[in-house]
Amino acid sequence: MITIAISKGRIQDDALALLARAGVRFNDSSLGSRCLTATDETGEYRAIFVKPADVPVYVEHGIADCGITGRDILIESQADLLLPLDLDIARCRLVVAGTSPNAIKGRGMLRVATKYPLLTAEYFGSRGTPVEIIRLSGSVELAPSLGLCDAIVDLVETGRTLRDNGLSIIEVITESTARFVVNRASYQLKAESITRLLNALEQIVNGVPA
Amino acid sequence: MHLSRIPAGMRYYVGAEARLRRKVEDTAMSVFNRWSYEEIATPAVDYYAPFEQGMGVAEAQRSFRFTDQDGCMLTLRPDVTSSVARAAATLLSDVPRPLRLSYVASVFKQQCQTSAEWRRENTQLGCELIGDGADAADLEILLVAVEILQQLGLRNSFCITLNHIEIFNGLAEQFSLDSTAREDVRRLIDSRAIPELKHFSNNGLSSTFAELVHLRGKRDVLHDAQRLVSNSRSEAALSELAELWEALERKGLADSFEIDLGDLSRLDYYTALSFKVFVNGAGTRVGGGGRYDRLISSFGRSEPAVGFVLSLDALTDVLANTGNQLISFKQ
Repeated sequence: MITIAISKGRIQDDALALLARAGVRFNDSSLGSRCLTATDETGEYRAIFVKPADVPVYVEHGIADCGITGRDILIESQADLLLPLDLDIARCRLVVAGTSPNAIKGRGMLRVATKYPLLTAEYFGSRGTPVEIIRLSGSVELAPSLGLCDAIVDLVETGRTLRDNGLSIIEVITESTARFVVNRASYQLKAESITRLLNALEQIVNGVPA
Repeated sequence: MHLSRIPAGMRYYVGAEARLRRKVEDTAMSVFNRWSYEEIATPAVDYYAPFEQGMGVAEAQRSFRFTDQDGCMLTLRPDVTSSVARAAATLLSDVPRPLRLSYVASVFKQQCQTSAEWRRENTQLGCELIGDGADAADLEILLVAVEILQQLGLRNSFCITLNHIEIFNGLAEQFSLDSTAREDVRRLIDSRAIPELKHFSNNGLSSTFAELVHLRGKRDVLHDAQRLVSNSRSEAALSELAELWEALERKGLADSFEIDLGDLSRLDYYTALSFKVFVNGAGTRVGGGGRYDRLISSFGRSEPAVGFVLSLDALTDVLANTGNQLISFKQ
């Protein structure tokens, strides 16, 4: 049996739709319940639903053989995983945002609030900007107007939340889409099943076989 | 601080688990002994410099480091192979070749790379075959590894993946990659990041390296690879790997092996064959090895060598978790 860790929330519906097209269907009754696992119609696949940041954890430990989560999460986690396929769903951008473009122009200590401390340190570190990173776990858009920080680094889909909180995008760090990730040991020990799923997904995403 | 605390990544073994662990160790050491590998014990505290030279800066820097009375940097042994290589070049330089050495020893790291590799003390079961550059030496090392896994009752539940570093090195040279680009591409291939590889650079390069990721499986992979490479370095490596594969087939071991040309994880000293060991029930690899023909020369004696390690702790965990394996546990 192949266990797939699926990121709950933003990505979940698109990911399940994609899996269904690839022949891995989880029926609505098992998905509707509060149970955090579901087995597909063939009994060959099991889905587990976990928080986005926990997908790399389950996959790296080999509890899940593969998983679906955002590239933003994968960059931040630094987990040692295989990243063979971009699923091209849940597209969004990782940006630096603030109340004005000048918010990050100073030469003193820049204060940045974010859910992505490693990525933020790497981004400002690479340009030699001294930065104090304030780690938050949600509602990051609130922080600049309240004076907690000069700017934020966050994930932006439409930009509406930023605008509603008086912020605008200063710089785009990178794009993020949902990625299909695979555990290193499962990639070898369950090569046939993993490759079959990978090829089926790749065919849907790219329109060509792997 | 509470006196009952234990540092992260450290643990005790007691009772049945300690006995099982000892049994795994004894099994491996007796296989080494049967193949005439002489035991060697290396210092647990050593100078840092030889490890940086051997393992590469990125790996070595994760070790526990402290200074000696004279200010020289010491480390708590992060690797055994580098230390064995030094002994081969110095202490054991007048011993007739080939040298066969084996060990069971803890290695330490202060900083784990990821959450899945939580252990900071890891006991390695390992062996090194020094002074023999022949293909037969590569085969011997693989046979020793297979025998240990079989003796542990893991006959049908392990997989050893094979690669030859020179296939990638030849391609990197063919595309004139500088050291930064080479490292970027190596990392992308090793994480099988095909989307990033496709966007990496000019078309020929991107498609070749993206294709390399797909080259895994049995003998056919080597035929497909031949179409991909057009440089003598990679071609020579492919034919070496093909010969090794044929030898494994003749031994009836093809089912336990896979060729995986995308496996390029970092350990700077490997120069030719490199391999990884996976076992059902373990989410990360339980061992690996390869050929390191340049390591010993950094200690002043130029000679080929090949070896591998298995993680005693990871093997013990697998066997403890799949209790039924113990029934077929030999000895």
